[in-house]
Amino acid sequence: MSCELVERDLSAYLDRELDIDAATAIRSHLTDCTACRRLVAEREALGRLVRSAPYYPAPERLRARISARTSRSRFAGRFLPWAAAATVLVSAGIGVTVMRLAAAARPAMVDQVVDGHVRSLMADHLFDVQSTDQHTVKPWFLGKVDFAPPVVDLSSSGFPLVGGRLDYLSGQPVAALVYQRQKHTINVFVSPEKSGDAADLVRSARGFHVHHWDREGMSFWAVSDLNDAELTQFVRALQTS
Amino acid sequence: MASQLFEETVLPHLDAAFNYARWLTRNDSEAEDVVQDACVRAMRFFSSLRDNNARAWLLTIVRNSWYSRVSRRKEIPESTAGDHDPGERPDDALDPEERLLQQYTVARVRSALEQLPVDFREVIVLRELEGLPYKEIAAIVRVPIGTVMSRLSRARERLTTLLTPSDSMGRLP
Repeated sequence: MSCELVERDLSAYLDRELDIDAATAIRSHLTDCTACRRLVAEREALGRLVRSAPYYPAPERLRARISARTSRSRFAGRFLPWAAAATVLVSAGIGVTVMRLAAAARPAMVDQVVDGHVRSLMADHLFDVQSTDQHTVKPWFLGKVDFAPPVVDLSSSGFPLVGGRLDYLSGQPVAALVYQRQKHTINVFVSPEKSGDAADLVRSARGFHVHHWDREGMSFWAVSDLNDAELTQFVRALQTS
Repeated sequence: MASQLFEETVLPHLDAAFNYARWLTRNDSEAEDVVQDACVRAMRFFSSLRDNNARAWLLTIVRNSWYSRVSRRKEIPESTAGDHDPGERPDDALDPEERLLQQYTVARVRSALEQLPVDFREVIVLRELEGLPYKEIAAIVRVPIGTVMSRLSRARERLTTLLTPSDSMGRLP
């Protein structure tokens, strides 16, 4: 590989967007080329410098304005049209508060799911039962929770089941199923469905992706640091299994 | 309910939307207008969000909102130096030296980024400040991945020139 080629692909190389062959070729060129190594070091320094540029978060007043708009449309949608005019006046105050409280319940659950995921990775307590065999994992839950979580191995879709454990969310015992995708861990928390919890949900929090859905009386929460496309693929595989 | 889902799927990306708009417009109040426009559109077309990538979807709408404002004003997206906000100049003599230096660096980086043509600036912002993969950037900017790659590469060359002091022997710090 020539220095010109390295220079051409340097950006993609540093962004880890090159395929593995091209990246390997550059890496081996770098071991013998001082000039290109210096170029890489320079570009890395440039990256650090550029990332020190200001990040502009949304101003609070903008966030409030947009939240008020969505709350208003929700409020207006719930009541008869004659209430709409009154809603505009009310939503600035009481309406917004009430609706925001209602909307706050599920995000709290998202936080708990992410906490549960992080806890399982940090405390080195990923499994109570470590097995890739669904016929070992499923019976293990018998007598530990008062429901039978559906347990399927998804190795054929590229998401092998690696184990399960008993966990707690909102103070309730839940079955945690653990799947693996390369080095990424996916936790799926399963519990009996609760009323008022029905809508599907996709959310990101603290760098983790969370999917929620209900099926056959069970409530599912899948969480992982896996990229969203692959987690979506996983969720589909699980839903159609 | 759709609006609740909207709050949960789209609003978490409001910071990303504003940051992107702010770098496109280089102006606070205009960025607010762009993001507000974008959110109104996003609410209206929320049902068209098919895949689960709400962030890329919202950023695409932000870009469209910005673009339609700019073209309404018949303004060609600039490719020359932008205005400098005097507010960030490190002019407080009471600050410790290090703080001054840091402020100075940030101001220089900001000004270098603002001097980039908008086609280059947006890919740098999406890549370096949002950390998006090329595929997502390509979807937002609506160009092939190869174009994202070459724009990033040229933008970085340009930034290297802009940020390398011409009056000293030093390269990048």
